[in-house]
Amino acid sequence: MRILRLELKRVLKARITWILLALALLLSVLLAWLPTTYCYSNYTDEAGNEVNLTGLASIAYEKQLQSEAGGMVTPERVREAVETYQRCLAAYGVTESYDLPEGVYEREILPIAPLLHGVKEAFADPDTGMAPTIMEIDPEEIGDYYDVCESRIAALMEMEQPDSQAARRKAVEMYGKVGKPFQVYPGMSATVMDYQNIMGFLVLLFCVVIAAPVFSADYQSGADDILRCTRHGRARLGAAKLLAALIISGIAFVVCAVVHILTADSLFGWECTRTSVQMLYSIVTLADLNVGEFQLLFAVAGLLSVLASVSFTLFLSARCRSTVSSLACALVFSVAPVIISMAVPGALSTWLCSVLPASGTSIQASILYAMTDFQFLTLGGLAVWTPFAMIGASVIEIPLFSYLAVRSYCRHNA
Amino acid sequence: MELLIDHVSKRFRDKRAVSDISLELTPGVWGLLGANGAGKTTLMRMIAGNLQPDEGQIVYDGAPIGMLGERYRDIFGFLPQEFGFHQDFTVGDYLTYVAALKGLDERQGRRRIQELLERVSLLDVRGRKIARLSGGMKRRVGIAQALLNDPEVLILDEPTGGLDPGERVRFRNLLSEFAHDRIVLISTHIVPDVEYIATCHAIIKDGRLLATGSTEELVRLVEGRVWSCQVPADLVPEYESRLQVVSLRNENDGSVSIRYLRERPCNAGSVAATPRLEDLYLWLFPQGSMGNGKPVSRYQ
Repeated sequence: MRILRLELKRVLKARITWILLALALLLSVLLAWLPTTYCYSNYTDEAGNEVNLTGLASIAYEKQLQSEAGGMVTPERVREAVETYQRCLAAYGVTESYDLPEGVYEREILPIAPLLHGVKEAFADPDTGMAPTIMEIDPEEIGDYYDVCESRIAALMEMEQPDSQAARRKAVEMYGKVGKPFQVYPGMSATVMDYQNIMGFLVLLFCVVIAAPVFSADYQSGADDILRCTRHGRARLGAAKLLAALIISGIAFVVCAVVHILTADSLFGWECTRTSVQMLYSIVTLADLNVGEFQLLFAVAGLLSVLASVSFTLFLSARCRSTVSSLACALVFSVAPVIISMAVPGALSTWLCSVLPASGTSIQASILYAMTDFQFLTLGGLAVWTPFAMIGASVIEIPLFSYLAVRSYCRHNA
Repeated sequence: MELLIDHVSKRFRDKRAVSDISLELTPGVWGLLGANGAGKTTLMRMIAGNLQPDEGQIVYDGAPIGMLGERYRDIFGFLPQEFGFHQDFTVGDYLTYVAALKGLDERQGRRRIQELLERVSLLDVRGRKIARLSGGMKRRVGIAQALLNDPEVLILDEPTGGLDPGERVRFRNLLSEFAHDRIVLISTHIVPDVEYIATCHAIIKDGRLLATGSTEELVRLVEGRVWSCQVPADLVPEYESRLQVVSLRNENDGSVSIRYLRERPCNAGSVAATPRLEDLYLWLFPQGSMGNGKPVSRYQ
């Protein structure tokens, strides 16, 4: 314990550690606030003046406008919303809402818009995947809205996973277990989650930068020659260095994630966290979660990914002889899921992006996008949904790379 | 107490850094002499357990050090030739950190750090960052950490580099006091640092052990080969080009006294001089031709 305490003190005494941790905390607040700046509303007031609203004022305005839409998404309410939509567009003789005269959309459609989320997708053509316009949907068919959604996931999986019956069966089974009817509480957009992803990725990079020199800096400076020939200078010191890096990274991520989520939810409204993820993403999203649970699960998966990445970075640090090489290798592996998701095609990309330590919080290939997607890792008759694979990989990688890091440190030069 | 280096060899790619060295170290100060690149550092790192020999083994009191592991490191102190510190460590923080790694409890550690900082005259810089200390002060911090656990085996690789003459003297005295009933091995190419405090010396060249013995035994190897004479100042360059000159001294009459190494005197005016360890060192490691010293077989 004393060695761990001294090691923690050593790492925390480094100025670069404090700079990075302070920057991470600042960014977690900034990245929670930033999505509010994209919110924009405009309307014409009673005096005929055009009013433009941005940021929190816009959020408050739209929430007030859509307050009636909030609550349970029952088939009846969806049908009423579709009928209202169709009546409005028919009254103005248009087929698309953007052809409505100025001010009509805000007055007639915007208040019911949250209930219309996913309707077109639910009624998409099972063979082509093409979604109809709302005007083409028969309101009578909405009586079986959630049956339609379940048919939709089956059709979608036929297109997404034509070669894996196991994946198709698993997806339908998972969607069947999703709690229905859905809930919707207007005010929050998927952008908030994108920014939580960016926050997680940046904190991961900072933690990797802190962890990369843990062993290699001692090799490079020669400090290691003294430390490793002390009584506790091998396995115990290796374990203390590893634990210190994991503790600092873990606490840094937890603090940043908590600050980010608290800030974002305070800005957008806590009631939004009760919205089902299906009302924010695809109506057939497989996760049985509301937005609050989704934020929490994403944070936990992000934490596991950060710890897996730090363990892997420490392993690299124990293998490299200089801080430059350990930092360069660690950063390459941290951004590898981003590059792989863009450059490598097909199942190989899915596999790699699921098992790399940084996948959980990576941009584009993170667990956030995996949870709103329909990718499965398939092996024979086995199909694993990629978010489960990512979490499972991290859980295995943390002890595996931790062990390898300490072992490599003990065997350095041997 | 005995540290046995038993037919130890180490190769780095094409270069054989240490070649079949055997040495039995007993309590006392040992000087390990050799030119740069002779293999001293490699040998010391193997004794420290930081490098594994390709062949042979190092045995402490009958047990290979690899098997002793923690028990060996517990009685071991090491100051490498080149070593670093974490940039943000103060002297006190660093010594506290190493004391914990050496298994000293907090109270023991505090007391020992206080004692050693006094001994190496660093008490007033205890709270200063090591990165801001002079080279000599950093070296003294290194010496202090090596002594923290009161080691039975102390290995110091070029410990006096960067120390001023006063610090060197204090360091020599400190080691002489410390060395009772302990094995202290000091590697250096600065002969006076060990000439008067080492009870025994080992001389290595090109990774091979050339000779071992006390100062008196070793200087006998160059007995009859150290000469001095006085020559006119204008002939000094010619003598320097022909002879292995150890030292030059200008005399009041305008001539120059030279001390040189040679099998036979170079002129009639030469007289035999009393050999010193430095003469042996220069005989074995001629300046400007370090790799082409005298035949090894003559000294083994």
